[in-house]
Amino acid sequence: MWSSKSERVEVKVDEKSFEEKVCDVLVIGGGGAGLRAAIEAHDKKANTLVVCKSLLGKAHTVMAEGGIAAALGNVDPEDGWQVHFSDTIVEGQYLSNWRMAEIFAKEAIERVYELERYGALFDRTPEGKISQRPFGAHTYRRLCHIGDRTGLELIRTLEDQVIARGIPFMDEVMVTSIIKDGGGGRAAAALGIDIRTGMLILFRFKAVILATGGCGKVYEVTSNSYESTGDGVSMAYRAGAELMDMEMIQFHPTGMIYPAGVRGMLVTEAVRGEGGILTNAKGERFMTKYDPKRMELSARDVVARAIYSEIVAGRGTKNGAVYLDISHRGADYIKKKLPSMYDQFLEFAGVDITKERMEVAPTVHYQMGGVRVDPETGETSVRGIYAAGEVASGLHGGNRLGGNSLSDILVFGRRAGGAAADVAAGMDVPEFDRKELESEVGRVLSPFSSAGNANPFYLKEAIAKNMWKHVGIMRNEADLTAGLKELEAISTEARKSKAVGARAYNQSWLDTLQVWDMILVSEAIIRSALERKESRGAHTRSDFPEKSEEWLMNIITVQKGEKMTHELRPVPKLPPELAALIKE
Amino acid sequence: MGLRSDWKYLLPYELLEPNWRLWSFVAVLAVGFWAVVAFPVAQFAGYIDPFYSPTVLIVPLPGVFRLTCYAYRKDYHRHLFKHPQGCSNADRGEAAGRKYTGERNAVFQLENFHRYFLYAGIAILPFFYYDFGYSLVYSGQFVLRLGSLVLLANALMLTGWTLSCHAFRHLVGGNIDCYSCVAAGNARKGIYDKQSWLNSHHEALAWISLLTIVFVDLYLRGLAAGLPIDVTFLRF
Amino acid sequence: MSQKFEEKPGEGTVKLRVRRGVGSDPATDRFDEFVVPMEKGMVVLNAIHYIQAHLDPSLSARWNCKAGRCGSCSAEINGRPRLMCKTPVESIEGDVVVEPMKAFPRLKDIVTDVDANWKVAAMIPPFTPKPGAGEIFRFYQQDVDRSREFRRCIECFLCQDVCHVVREHEADYVGPRWVVKAASLDMHPMDGLNRSKFMKDKGGLGYCNITKCCQEICPEHIVITDDAIIPEKERVVDREYDPLVWVYRHLRGSKEAEAQSFRATGGAP
Repeated sequence: MWSSKSERVEVKVDEKSFEEKVCDVLVIGGGGAGLRAAIEAHDKKANTLVVCKSLLGKAHTVMAEGGIAAALGNVDPEDGWQVHFSDTIVEGQYLSNWRMAEIFAKEAIERVYELERYGALFDRTPEGKISQRPFGAHTYRRLCHIGDRTGLELIRTLEDQVIARGIPFMDEVMVTSIIKDGGGGRAAAALGIDIRTGMLILFRFKAVILATGGCGKVYEVTSNSYESTGDGVSMAYRAGAELMDMEMIQFHPTGMIYPAGVRGMLVTEAVRGEGGILTNAKGERFMTKYDPKRMELSARDVVARAIYSEIVAGRGTKNGAVYLDISHRGADYIKKKLPSMYDQFLEFAGVDITKERMEVAPTVHYQMGGVRVDPETGETSVRGIYAAGEVASGLHGGNRLGGNSLSDILVFGRRAGGAAADVAAGMDVPEFDRKELESEVGRVLSPFSSAGNANPFYLKEAIAKNMWKHVGIMRNEADLTAGLKELEAISTEARKSKAVGARAYNQSWLDTLQVWDMILVSEAIIRSALERKESRGAHTRSDFPEKSEEWLMNIITVQKGEKMTHELRPVPKLPPELAALIKE
Repeated sequence: MGLRSDWKYLLPYELLEPNWRLWSFVAVLAVGFWAVVAFPVAQFAGYIDPFYSPTVLIVPLPGVFRLTCYAYRKDYHRHLFKHPQGCSNADRGEAAGRKYTGERNAVFQLENFHRYFLYAGIAILPFFYYDFGYSLVYSGQFVLRLGSLVLLANALMLTGWTLSCHAFRHLVGGNIDCYSCVAAGNARKGIYDKQSWLNSHHEALAWISLLTIVFVDLYLRGLAAGLPIDVTFLRF
Repeated sequence: MSQKFEEKPGEGTVKLRVRRGVGSDPATDRFDEFVVPMEKGMVVLNAIHYIQAHLDPSLSARWNCKAGRCGSCSAEINGRPRLMCKTPVESIEGDVVVEPMKAFPRLKDIVTDVDANWKVAAMIPPFTPKPGAGEIFRFYQQDVDRSREFRRCIECFLCQDVCHVVREHEADYVGPRWVVKAASLDMHPMDGLNRSKFMKDKGGLGYCNITKCCQEICPEHIVITDDAIIPEKERVVDREYDPLVWVYRHLRGSKEAEAQSFRATGGAP
């Protein structure tokens, strides 16, 4: 069983040769959205292949903690999809696509039960049903959870299903770009790198699903993993797809601040859901000033701004944070309900949260914007490219509710997988544009022949520092412009980024390609942020502090020639029967 | 090269690794055999020696119970067969290349009958309490002496070790997947949880109970040799 | 480009010895030394990142979440299998020695190929709801607790690395991680399969000799041997050895389906 050594280790890589793989549906990304899409496409008889940048089961989904939001009504029977729909639209600051929110709220329920039938072990109510906990800005107790490790359970369950079905997957493959067909209208292939060998792989497909996650790594202080560099958004944009609401970056109110090595690491909202209390350095429970009704369980944008304001006003701790206290719930309860948080603080910071307060500060958590998709199918504005999960936009609008992303990836992952399989059933594998491929191969291999000597690891830090400094929670025109200027300087340097050594597991090479994607995504964020001259949800402009009716617009980013252009598009109006459900 | 946080590394490896339990077990087996055969002190001043309890005939049963115990299995696989000796690179010894069949060959498959020796072990337990009770009545009087307490401690430790057994854990609830689906499920889960706590101390109890047996034996031998070590607390 | 250590490191620095090399090629196998500035609370992964960004960008290291949740940055640190992101530099006496996991073939530097695990994973009979479980399951918190422990597993494969059966004997034993997986399925309150015969015949459970190294090093503190392996062994005894259980089962009639080896596909196409 263990004696057969890896075949990949001995692969010799030639200069420009590549392997070719043909499938019906290519799924890029091994997180919840990608795996759920693959399962659906496979079950619909499409020949499906999953590729992911990290090892299988390591995607950023594992970091999700608090739970998965779905209106089962197990704890609060008054809950229903209508209320969940309303909460999503209202807290999304009316930027969400109503149809997406409707599909989402309705289908999330069945997706949770389905996950249970796949083998996930949810916490129970005394009646033996799936238990649900309260979370920020959800009207009712709605988050189905597995302790504080819901994401880990979700991805492991889906991983088991993928393996049980025998769906082929290739982990540690980084897809760099999508190649169109000869006519330029439809996606036909994707170029990838087998990270372990350095071999280039050409994936030919009938449809491709982007499930590549977000771009939190463009910020210095973030809860996001190594992978969250915005590759999917960049790939889609370069293939001509429209991006939407890129300025909407969620700052999670509570991230660790100390020690430096773990700065930004997530402190789950479940701490507040279970009764955690926020206080400033003077011991004041400051949420009374910002949202006396919902207090700690207000929407994420509100709590994040509140904490930020307290720190800026000098009422923070000496580490530049505020206190979060859960110790009053008792050691047994905390260890049962928040085991990861208990371990995390004990192991990384030496803080026993059953006795002591935590120090927390906002951290970049989620990208609400992303690739614009069709609500029903997840198809982007380029035929043959689908997107689901964090890489797609439209559901969360100006602010995502906690727990909505896990149900998002299941609902829209499944839909994208199904739609891609349907399309694939009625067509042949299209021919790809060889010229485009050639130039792409050239681009991908160029870091090896770079004349410069820039260090990509250093460039990543530079991008992240710039974004944190200039495009943070509080934005204004001067900062944004300065950020854009510095980004241009980094971009010039990045062209000289150098890949050192051979191609097998060469991180300086991979990181160079990621740096280029990160620059592109950062530019889209800054330009969209400059565009939106109001404060709405996660996007706060100190020079335009008010929310304005005129700005019920989605900001579309699209490539015209070599230029990044923007367009304002009114948010689709709610039909009257759905408008009637909205309760603020 | 050691890890500072690992207090284990501050002390000599041999002192802390549980091979002491193994060597003391081997020693007890040898000394026990020798003692029983050559210098029988089956009973002295109303105390019954644990080696003779209830009769010398069943001595092999607790012995095999220990031999097949998961705690002792760890010990002799690590320290006798050195598969592996320790977990870190410096400690594990050279195992590669040596034949290894684990617990799959004809002899070691007998480990799978551990639970039957557990049954025997449980059956023997009352006798140790009987010995304690027996020691309370001496020359027609009720007496409470230090020796009795020693016997009681021994009985308790043996009980703790026996009932913390992994096979017992399986028996009292480990074999159930869905507690709410079986009769008296909640009660069985309760017992299982309590036993699990005991089970987490199984390795320690395996050693302590061994030491208490030896201690009782030595104590009685001391008495027999005329040492003034017994104290009487009460007498009616 | 690698910097050779010459002077004694100052107060605020730490010396790392990192094992380098490409694949199984012995000609490239070596230790490189780096001196990295100390920061309070710094973990070994931080030091590796510092090396990549400032000293040697050709150093390869697998990592992802940097929070001890994903299980990517497994390595042997001073001879002990650990996660680089969870090992404080301050906890190490003297130099920090970082090597790849030895149970798996090396790809480059401290990155190993753990692919073989997916082939083993594909053998384990998957979760199969028992008949009558229904569309919406009904069970209780006390039914969840046991299997829950195993679901903490982050698949760092450190237990596979430290297990002498996998590491030194390459025997046909699935290894601690996959016994934990089988146990998590067997102890699922709604699962209808019995994996005992599979675990004995194909899973090689008898190879485990309870030496508990996996349990000692598990970064998630899963009590692998006591809570997963030994209970699985006891279930094998029920199914394959114990005559009384055999009689009882035949008198009562077994409800559980027997699971045999599932399949040996999956992995790279």
